Amino acid sequence: MWLWFAKLGSPKWFYDVSDRWLPWLAGAMALFMIVGVIWALLFLPPDYQQGLTTRILVIHVAVAGTSLAFFPLMAVAGTITLVWKMKLADMVAKNAAALGAWFSFVTLATGSIWGSVMWGTWWEWTDARLVSMLFQFFLLLSVVALRSAIEDTDKAAKACALLSIVGCINVVIIKYSVEWWNVLHQPASPLSMSSDNANGPEFWMATGVMIIAVYLFFIVSLILTTRNEILQREKRSQWVQDIVRAA
Amino acid sequence: MTQSIQFSSISEFLDMGGYAFNVWAVYAVFLVFIFVNLVFPIVRRKKILREIKKQSVFEHTDTDSTD
Repeated sequence: MWLWFAKLGSPKWFYDVSDRWLPWLAGAMALFMIVGVIWALLFLPPDYQQGLTTRILVIHVAVAGTSLAFFPLMAVAGTITLVWKMKLADMVAKNAAALGAWFSFVTLATGSIWGSVMWGTWWEWTDARLVSMLFQFFLLLSVVALRSAIEDTDKAAKACALLSIVGCINVVIIKYSVEWWNVLHQPASPLSMSSDNANGPEFWMATGVMIIAVYLFFIVSLILTTRNEILQREKRSQWVQDIVRAA
Repeated sequence: MTQSIQFSSISEFLDMGGYAFNVWAVYAVFLVFIFVNLVFPIVRRKKILREIKKQSVFEHTDTDSTD
């Protein structure tokens, strides 16, 4: 068990394994992405209230749902860094923060563009879902800023891990905000497979494909940036020198 | 649950039921988001490999000259 754990923490092991997995993950991502986008844009039937704007929600729901995974991931990685001093976990946490900020921004932007026609407003400060998502965006930006502000790698990792745990509290608030304070943003639609429901199988199947596509994109992008980080931090080691020479 | 294409012409497709601006703006944002977060790391990787190569060549010539 401990041997496995030590192996998992080795940057070289991660680099080798991700080398084999990347083509498959990227291929699956491209497939789900293309099927999802074509399905949503061409085949999704109009909603009786929202018309064709549900095409926006397919993207919005997939990106928003995935954006909630960042702080739990960073908190787990941060804890592993603090307790076991695993270098790889810190590299993942570092690169997840910037990507998470992107996810939060796209969630806000797509939601806003949808709200501008369906709610008649781009933004509503009294809506807890909107404000807590904006807070997540700023929290992730501050994790990125904190990382670059502290020169000492260990101290930076510690500070970012603590902020990530705070961020997890906000994730719970985002999740339940629509139930605790019902202002403008609708609560999560129940997963329904009956065709007479407003959110019938047509919407959920397309969204399901898109959620898988966006999750795969999140994994592929994070692997790519983590591999870059490994190359930089391990540039003195022999195996990186070998890669450089072969490239 | 049979599904068919919801549009009978290209112009109808581009119009998106009257929500052309909003629907296409969201898909444009999404496309940029995907593109940036896949292409930038790939470009950066090439740059990192080049820099490490340059550094190691420099270090080798450096040790050669001091030895």
